[in-house]
Amino acid sequence: MDAVPYGPSPTPLVADELSVTYGEHPAVDRLSLTVRPGEIYGLLGSNGAGKSSTIKAIVGLVPPSHGRVAVFGFDAVHDGLATKERLGYVPETSLLYEALTPREFLEFVASVRRLDPPTASARAKSYATAFRLENEFEEPIASLSNGTRQKVLIVAALLHQPPLLVLDEPLNSLDPRSVRIMKDLLARYVAASGRGVLFSTHTMEVAQQLCHRVGILDRGVLRAEGTLATLRERAEAGDATLEEVFLRLTREGEGLDTAVRALEGL
Amino acid sequence: MGWREAWRISSVAFGELSLQAIYAYRQGNLPPTGAPRLVAARARRRVVQSKLIVAAVLGLLAAGACLLLEISARIVATPFFGVVVSPAVFQMGVLTGLLAIEVAFLWWTGLQVIPTFLASGVLPVLEPLPIDDRTLGRVAGLLYLRLFDLPVIIVLVTTPLFVAWTLGAAAGLAIVPGVVAAVGFALSLALLTGRFFVRRVQGSRGGGGRTLARWAYLVLWVLPAFAMFGLVVAAPGFLAVIGRTVADGPALGRDLLLSAFPITFAVLPTVAVHGPGAFGLDPSGEAALAGATATYLLLAAWSIVWLMASVRRLGLAPALMPADAPPARFDLRPQRPARAVLTKDLRIASRMPGYAFLVIFPILEAVAIGLFTFVTGPGSSAALGLALAAVATAALLATFFGPAFFAIEVIAYSYGRTLPLSDRSILTGKVALVALIYLIAGGIVLGLTLLRVFQPVLFVVFVLAELPAVLAASFLELGILFRRARATGLPIVNLYSGGWYAVLVAVPGLLAAGLPLLSFRVLDGVAPALALGAMGLLAIAELAVCAPFALGWGGGRPA
Repeated sequence: MDAVPYGPSPTPLVADELSVTYGEHPAVDRLSLTVRPGEIYGLLGSNGAGKSSTIKAIVGLVPPSHGRVAVFGFDAVHDGLATKERLGYVPETSLLYEALTPREFLEFVASVRRLDPPTASARAKSYATAFRLENEFEEPIASLSNGTRQKVLIVAALLHQPPLLVLDEPLNSLDPRSVRIMKDLLARYVAASGRGVLFSTHTMEVAQQLCHRVGILDRGVLRAEGTLATLRERAEAGDATLEEVFLRLTREGEGLDTAVRALEGL
Repeated sequence: MGWREAWRISSVAFGELSLQAIYAYRQGNLPPTGAPRLVAARARRRVVQSKLIVAAVLGLLAAGACLLLEISARIVATPFFGVVVSPAVFQMGVLTGLLAIEVAFLWWTGLQVIPTFLASGVLPVLEPLPIDDRTLGRVAGLLYLRLFDLPVIIVLVTTPLFVAWTLGAAAGLAIVPGVVAAVGFALSLALLTGRFFVRRVQGSRGGGGRTLARWAYLVLWVLPAFAMFGLVVAAPGFLAVIGRTVADGPALGRDLLLSAFPITFAVLPTVAVHGPGAFGLDPSGEAALAGATATYLLLAAWSIVWLMASVRRLGLAPALMPADAPPARFDLRPQRPARAVLTKDLRIASRMPGYAFLVIFPILEAVAIGLFTFVTGPGSSAALGLALAAVATAALLATFFGPAFFAIEVIAYSYGRTLPLSDRSILTGKVALVALIYLIAGGIVLGLTLLRVFQPVLFVVFVLAELPAVLAASFLELGILFRRARATGLPIVNLYSGGWYAVLVAVPGLLAAGLPLLSFRVLDGVAPALALGAMGLLAIAELAVCAPFALGWGGGRPA
């Protein structure tokens, strides 16, 4: 893979004043974030915070109602194809062609990504072996478990070795072995020549282990952004874990003890 | 919990089923904008619209059949292939056809809707709830029956009414058992074949040999629809066979014929009005008819009981996977994007009967007319006329529903929209699929026709002259759909839940595919060469307009 730039700009991802609205309901409100070269950026938030809507706008699934997204300098709306060529996407839910087998699905993805047969085959074999997909490689996706579908999606996202990976809760449903592989893989992935990863999760431990920087989304608004140290400082949380920092910054921790106590009587 | 509770739960679940049938969230479709209550209401309305279309077609079929009964005296005066049939035999033939078509149409509708029913996931959602097994089974059965409610009501009500209006009240009453049996058999056959599909076809592994086997299964899947068409095409020959058997055949042959479903029930209205003498039945024949009637009614009742007990199992059954997994093949063979779209569509169609139908039906139709041309062996000009009609029908069928559903398939799946797949590649792949269907159908008719009438030049020129119109129709429909998808999104639908939608989009496509055929028809009597030339020029002109519209050439935004 060539060194940067992968486009007019070396920066993998810039979201500028991005808003996403469903009808009257604002899901994301003027969010700005940047994924820098060599960085894993974690997008944290509770359920319904707007993480998936942000990611869908970035990958071109929903149009932004305001603002813009640029992938290596290419505008996600006006240069959709150029943007999509440079990113690999793992959706939150297993959105796959159910009637295809993993091999048929990956062959289609490799065709659209214009990979040559030896490269596509070698990569498919390496990733499928790593994630232990061999036994399911010829089964229809409809018959696969959620975890196996997730692995297929991860392989499809990595097949063209994109300079930007956009992962929406990628570790959901994965077995511990695959989670470990994924963590190691991502850490090594961004170390190579200017790649970037945007990673959404609500598992704080994973974010703390993996991400160089995190952004905390709360009801569609980016409440805070930075390294763990920066966020601790901002939350005045000493050496607290990311979970504690998150709860403080989003005020999700308020009333937590009361809620837990209320459950004890049940 | 009793039936009342089962009905209440099925009402809630049917709302979810409608929502999934129309918007297909669980298949990756994006939610439509609007208040959830309005979206849910819209989904329910669209499912009702689709049911109304199916019901209207069934009602029209019943009306058409009874119109034939009304003018039966004039028709029977015409000899069918040298055999003059009696009015009684004619009535029996028409009612046999009607009952058979009702079975086939309801069966085929069921096959269309079963994948949606399963993909909706409503039964797995209900399963963990504290509802007893018997009620869950009833809920599943009721949900399944509610998919067919309007079409079934129309069949059960209009058929006896039309028959009563034409042949008298006694005849109307006499057809009721036949209609009830037809509905019972159709719904059970749909479930039986649907279960077979889910367990054997959907779970089939990849690989060339298995793909061929799946296509063979899917030909079976299309057979109900094909049978409807074949019945209409072969109606005169069918009547002639019945006429000969009833008039001159041995008593045993006649009894066996009258004991075959749905002939057994088609006989009853005439017997009710004119007595068993209308068919020359002796006491043993009457006993055979009564026995067959009772047997079929019992079988229909049992099939409904079986159906009610089986829907739940179907909703939860995983695909059957062979225990021995073959060694994985990692040799990916990427293709050019447009060809990859075509390959993917064919692979998807090989596991999804809704799509397979769109591919197979025009081809089977060509086989049917081609075989009919060959077997009946009319003179060379008639054979050629039939063959050209077969190609024309294939062109119209290929462009009728195909582009609409092929377009929906690629746009509605959200994952596809995250890939760098240009609209031109998608359009080219989809149009190539329609062209491929048309050319295969044309090739089959050509092969069969050449065996009877060796005039390859005229035939090949006709097929090729229509090809640009087929491409134009596909581009036009896909262009409209892609533009609409940009504006409002497109749901993943099948011929049942989105029939209204596909029909609307297909109208301009049919016009584009049909105009050159019409010009040929008009000019053929004047000068065949001129007719072919005009047809070809018109088709090319259409393509010159429609392709840029879809592809965004000439400065316009691609569709």
